[in-house]
Parts: sequence; structure tokens; C-alpha cells
Amino acid sequence: MDAIVEVRDLAKQFKRQNGEAFFAVDGVDLDIMRGEIFSLLGPNGAGKTTTIAMISGLLNPTRGSATIGGHSIIDDPIAAKKLLGVIPQEIALYPTLTARQNLEFFGRMYDLDGAELRTRVDEVLEFIDLTDRQHDKVETFSGGMKRRVNIGVGLLHNPQLLYMDEPTVGIDPQNRRRILDTVVRLRDEKQMTVLYTSHLMEEVQQISDRVGIIDHGKIIALGTVGDLIHKIGEEDRLVFKVGDQAVPEALLERFKAEVEGVSSATYEKLEIKGENGDAPVDIRSTSSLQIADGTITVMAQRGRKALPDLLQIANQAGLDVLSVEVREPDLEAVFLSMTGRALRD
Amino acid sequence: MRTVFEIARTDLRIIFQDRSIWLNIVVIPVILSFVVGFANGAGATAPPTTSTLLVDVLDNDSSDRSAQFFDEVRAANATIVLCPLDNTDDDICQLAGAALDETLAESRLSSQEALALIEIPAGFGAQIDAGEPVAIGYRSSEDAFAPSFILQAVQSAAQQIGGTAIAATVGTQVADDIEYLLFVDDADRAAFTETIRSEAASIWATDPVNVEYTASDFDSETLVNRGGGGFSQSIPGMATMYVMFAIFPAAAALIRERQQWTLQRLATMPVSRAQILGGKMLARFALGIVQYAIIFAFGVFLGVRYGNDPIALALLMATFTLCITALTLALTTVLRNEAQAAGVALFLSLTLAPLGGAWWPLDIVPDWMRTVGHLSPVAWVMDGYRSLIFLDGNLGTVIVPLLVLLGLTVVFFVIGVRRFQYS
Ligand SMILES: Nc1ncnc2c1ncn2[C@@H]1O[C@H](COP(=O)(O)OP(=O)(O)OP(=O)(O)O)[C@@H](O)[C@H]1O
Ligand SMILES: [Mg+2]
Repeated sequence: MDAIVEVRDLAKQFKRQNGEAFFAVDGVDLDIMRGEIFSLLGPNGAGKTTTIAMISGLLNPTRGSATIGGHSIIDDPIAAKKLLGVIPQEIALYPTLTARQNLEFFGRMYDLDGAELRTRVDEVLEFIDLTDRQHDKVETFSGGMKRRVNIGVGLLHNPQLLYMDEPTVGIDPQNRRRILDTVVRLRDEKQMTVLYTSHLMEEVQQISDRVGIIDHGKIIALGTVGDLIHKIGEEDRLVFKVGDQAVPEALLERFKAEVEGVSSATYEKLEIKGENGDAPVDIRSTSSLQIADGTITVMAQRGRKALPDLLQIANQAGLDVLSVEVREPDLEAVFLSMTGRALRD
Repeated sequence: MRTVFEIARTDLRIIFQDRSIWLNIVVIPVILSFVVGFANGAGATAPPTTSTLLVDVLDNDSSDRSAQFFDEVRAANATIVLCPLDNTDDDICQLAGAALDETLAESRLSSQEALALIEIPAGFGAQIDAGEPVAIGYRSSEDAFAPSFILQAVQSAAQQIGGTAIAATVGTQVADDIEYLLFVDDADRAAFTETIRSEAASIWATDPVNVEYTASDFDSETLVNRGGGGFSQSIPGMATMYVMFAIFPAAAALIRERQQWTLQRLATMPVSRAQILGGKMLARFALGIVQYAIIFAFGVFLGVRYGNDPIALALLMATFTLCITALTLALTTVLRNEAQAAGVALFLSLTLAPLGGAWWPLDIVPDWMRTVGHLSPVAWVMDGYRSLIFLDGNLGTVIVPLLVLLGLTVVFFVIGVRRFQYS
């Protein structure tokens, strides 16, 4: 397989409000292979949109280079852009024009015209399932429908390469499902290469062939989902909720000593937090309280197998376990282990 | 190029989707040009349908001199109809057969049936011939329609009558003083006086002073005679201001497109920056030209004549519109949000217009203000229009304004295109 997108040492410097310069993207190297779904996963502000902006010719990089199908986006932008469809994070449509007028206008920007344009617009409307609403103004659409038109514009000229910048933001689960299916269909049926960005690890994990994890403008991990998880070890995480019961240190020691595959066991006691998550609080003056149950977290090689033994030991110690959760290793865990922070903050 | 037109077409479609655009480019500017033109003395022109100005006459002298005086008035302004002298079969004077007397004249004046009343005192001819001062009664209606140029025609006629009379009197007196030039009898003497008078009248007719008077068309009072009156100032002035009103909003529109990301989306498509900006600017340029056309067409309806060089006129309109379009693009690069853009657009329109003489002619402002005013592109285009409309100018006389406007356009475009950013 060969790379359709090659990015080398790409960087972009911005100025903060206070005038201080910083790198929003800082030395990114990427190869995106033909026919794959490649995801950039990173928290808000990681630099995903800035990266996409540079490799779609919207923003000039501070340094570095990017080519699409061998055409430099800086030196030969028109040729590079012809291969590319971009679905921006924002709903980039003319609100007072109808869905069809929007599609026709943007289609003409790709040199589509006449019967060809009409057919393509019809096909896209069909694809995004908005044929019956094509003559309505976009401003009258629901958020999900606008998203679909926004996606449709990127598909008009059947590009070999598609950038999708957080296309599921602000979308209900059902529509999100639909969009994810669409992405997979585009790869499987149309052999499109997709660069997908998101800060949601579940969807990235579901659809991606390969993933680059981006944080503070740098790619901190890159590979298939399996690769990445393998890197941090493949232990399951078992979380026991115990409410306000005290958990003696001895119990945690027994978990480790007596159950096979357990590598660690930790206890966090019940916490009461105020509205803003701070402790300590004066309960009388706080209108809403968050009560975080006491939890025992056990890391184990094969969690489900270890579970019965763990529960039995807890029982013997007179501990009433309120709930149990087994979490298999995921990209969230990868991010956590690499940055010490959760993906979603 | 097709892409450029497509972008422009879509922008215009969006602009014209909003029905209030008609209010902004037709209704309001048309009303405003009318009102401002009126306030600037355009009322002087009667509505185009009645191209005659009724002036009542009470001739208590009925002499050759009074008849000569009326001839001079008619000569000074062909649209004046003297009543009842010039009444027609279909009663243009609207006298309905009544004889005009003091009372009737009074009421016609106050009801504005007649715009002015000229009263020739008894003994007018004799007094003139005797070289004595004589007063002609002149009253005009209170109404704004009472045109200052009726008075002007009357004054001009009085001057001629007075002038020829003086010449004749002086001539005769000189003759009297020269002893050896003796008249055979009184008839001989009168004949001599008459000869001098007619001689003087014909000299007067070709007199340089008289030519000077015609040339004084430059001042706004007599401009009126050339059609359109105050509208000749208000139409190009208001049109020019409204062209700015039509184009400046492009700045806010571009900023909005940046916020709604359509501009960025375009930038990711295989179209060049020149095509995108060219399309956006073309749309506004076209809107500006349409704005000019609408108000100038209204001017034609009001009787404004735009001189004899339509190409020069078209070039002035196009260059100014282009200049404002370029200025808008340059502005877009320094403005941060829509509200700011709207404020700056309003501020600029409302300073550049009066500063540049779109509200009143720059010849009525002090020299220093005229100089400062020429910082505004409006001043240059108004100079051009004045040259064409009032001074019968041509491409040659408007070349300086054209070049200045083109120069500004280039500067603004270079700034705009260089500094423009998609996000
Ligand atoms: N034009 C700009 N000027 C200054 N700073 C900017 C600009 N654009 C983005 N940034 C900053 O650069 C960083 C990266 O932003 P970017 O939009 O690329 O993040 P992202 O990964 O797309 O985030 P999100 O998930 O919220 O969309 C952020 O700190 C952002 O505030
Ligand atoms: Mg983003």
C-alpha cells in the first residue's frame, strides 16, 4: 500500500491573546495509506483542526510540508485539492440557500456542471437521505440534517481522499451511528481514504484501521487500535463500588496474593464534592452534592476469570459490593497511560 | 472565470433573497435624492409635466418700454409665461376669461396659481426715458416652488432696460451739450435718442458682460436653467453615497462567511484565492452599478441631464464603484467582527459622503475643507460628475478624477489581497 497523504514535520505557531507564541501543531509526521480510515484522536485543543486546515490548504504551515497524491499542498494547491473532499467541523453552508442550492454551488467549485452536476447532486441527496427536503432552506433543518448536508458537500466530486473533522459533534446517538456507518461504507464501497478526527475514543476504536493520538500538537502514539492497546499491556480494569464501607488494606493484599493474574489493587474512599467538584465543602451551603462511591480498582490479566474469586474474598471479609464493572483496555486507557490525563475533561 | 461568475451569482442570489434589499437600493435612496435635491433648490424646476412658469403681470404703463421689458424677461427664460399677455387659446394662464386685477393677482399668488407677480408702475416708460430711477414691483409666492430664477430673469431684463435707457439718455444729453450738434426739431432729437437706444440694446446683446452672465451658470442659481435643478447635485451625490451603502456591507458579509466557515470551505476547494475574492468583489461591484443605475434613472425622470459624454459618465461610475469595492476588501482585513464592520461602514459612508460633496456642492465650503474633502474618493467622483453635468465636460475634463480613483483602487486592492486571510 502506498501513502496518499504524506506529512512531514508539520507545525503551526499561533499567538495567544496575551501575545505569547505557541505551537498548536508541533512537528507532525503522518502517512495516510490509500483505502484506510485513519483517525486523529485527541482532546479539545489538541491541534486536530489546525492539522487538517494545513493539509487542506486553508492555513499556511509555519514549517514542514504536506503532499496529497504527490502534489504539494503549498506549491501545487489546486492539483492537491482536486483529490480532496473536506468535511469541516463547522456546518459550513449558506443557511438561506436550500440544500440543493448549496450542493450545486459547491459542486460547481469542483468543475461539475450540467447533467453531471445534476446527477451527482441527486446521488448525494440520496446518500444523505435528504432527497425529500432538498428544496428547503438549510436554516430550517435540524442539527443532524445540517450535518448530513455538510457531509454531502464533501462527497460531491467523489474524492479519493476525505477529511472529516469531528463530524459527530453535537449529534444524537442514532445519527452518530449512521455517520459512522457512512464512513465505513465510503471506505468499503468507494475505496475512499478517510482521515477522521475525534475526541471520542469509542467511535475511533470502532471504525479506524489506524489511529494517531495527538496531544498538545504532537503525535504521541500511532498504530492500529490493537497495537496501541498492546503497548500499554492488556490488563483489564475491574472497578468495585462499595459505598461508604471501610476497606482494610489487608483485603487488597489478599486480592493480590490469592487471585491469579491480579497485578494491583487500590482503594479510594467515598468522597463528597460540592458543585464545582471541590472538597471540603460546607454541606449546608451547597445546593447540589456529588457523592463519589468508595471504589476498589483491580488490574488483572484476565478480568472476567478473576472476578468470582475476588467477589468471594470480599464476601468473606464482610464487604458488601454494590456493583462491579469490568473494563477491557481501550484507547482511553492508552491516552491515560501516556499523558496521565483522561481524554475527556 | 466561470468559477468567479458562479461565486458572484450565488452571492447576489443571497443578497437579493432578502426582500428588504429593494427598500435599501430603490425606495430609500430615491426618496432621499428627491428630498435632498428639493432642499438644495431643485424645487425651482417645475414638475416635468408643466414646463411653464406662470408669472402674473400688472402693466400700469402699457408703453413701448414695458413691452420691451417683457420681451427681455421672456428672452431671459423661455419657460416663463407672462399672464395675461401670453395667454393661449386653451387658457394656459388659467384665468378663465377673468381680467387680471390687483385683487385677483393677490389671490393667485397666495394660492400659488402664479409663481410671481410683476407690477409695472404707471409712468415707467417716461421715467426711464427721462433717465430717472424707477422701481418694478416683484413679489413671489411663499412656496418653495417660487423659483429664484424668475427673479433672476426679471433682474436681467431690468438691467438691460436700465442699461439701454442710460446709454440713450447719456447719449442724448451729450448731444444736447455739444452746441454745434443741433437737432432740427424735437422729432429729430427723439429719433436720435431712439437710434442710440437701439444701438445700445444691440451692443448690450453682444456685450461681454452679458456673456459673462450666461457663463455664470457655474453658480447654483442659474444652473437650474440647465434642467434638473438641485437634483443635478442631489442625484449624483445621493447615488454615490448609496453606492457606498450598497458595497460596504460586503465587509460584514465576508466576516460572516468566515464565521459560518463557508469561506474556509471554499478555500479547501480547487479554486484560487483570486477567484474567490474576485467573485465576492464582482458581486458587490455589480450591486454598486445597479445602485447607480437606479438613482441615475430616477434623475432622468426628474429632468436631470448628465452632459454629453456618456462614456466618461459610465467610466466615472465604474471607477468609483470599483474603488469602493477595493476599499471594502482592504477594510475586511482589519475588521474583526460583523458589528465592527457594520459600524465602520456606516461611519465611513456618513463621513466620506458629506466630506466629498455628496450632500452639498463643495464650492460652498471653505477652501481648506475642500482640500480635506479630496481625501475622500467621493470628492473626486463628484468633481467628475459636476464637470460633465454642469460644465459640459468630456473624458478629457474628467481624466484627473478618473486617474485618482484608479490609483486609489489599485492601492486598496493591493492592501486587501495581500492582507486577506481565510480564517
Ligand atoms: N487562529 C488561531 N489563533 C490562535 N490560536 C488558535 C487559532 N486556531 C486554533 N488555535 C489554538 O490552537 C490550539 C489547537 O486548536 P485546534 O482547533 O486545532 O484543536 P482541535 O484539536 O481541533 O480541538 P477540538 O476538538 O476542540 O476541535 C487550541 O489551543 C486553539 O485555541
Ligand atoms: Mg477541531
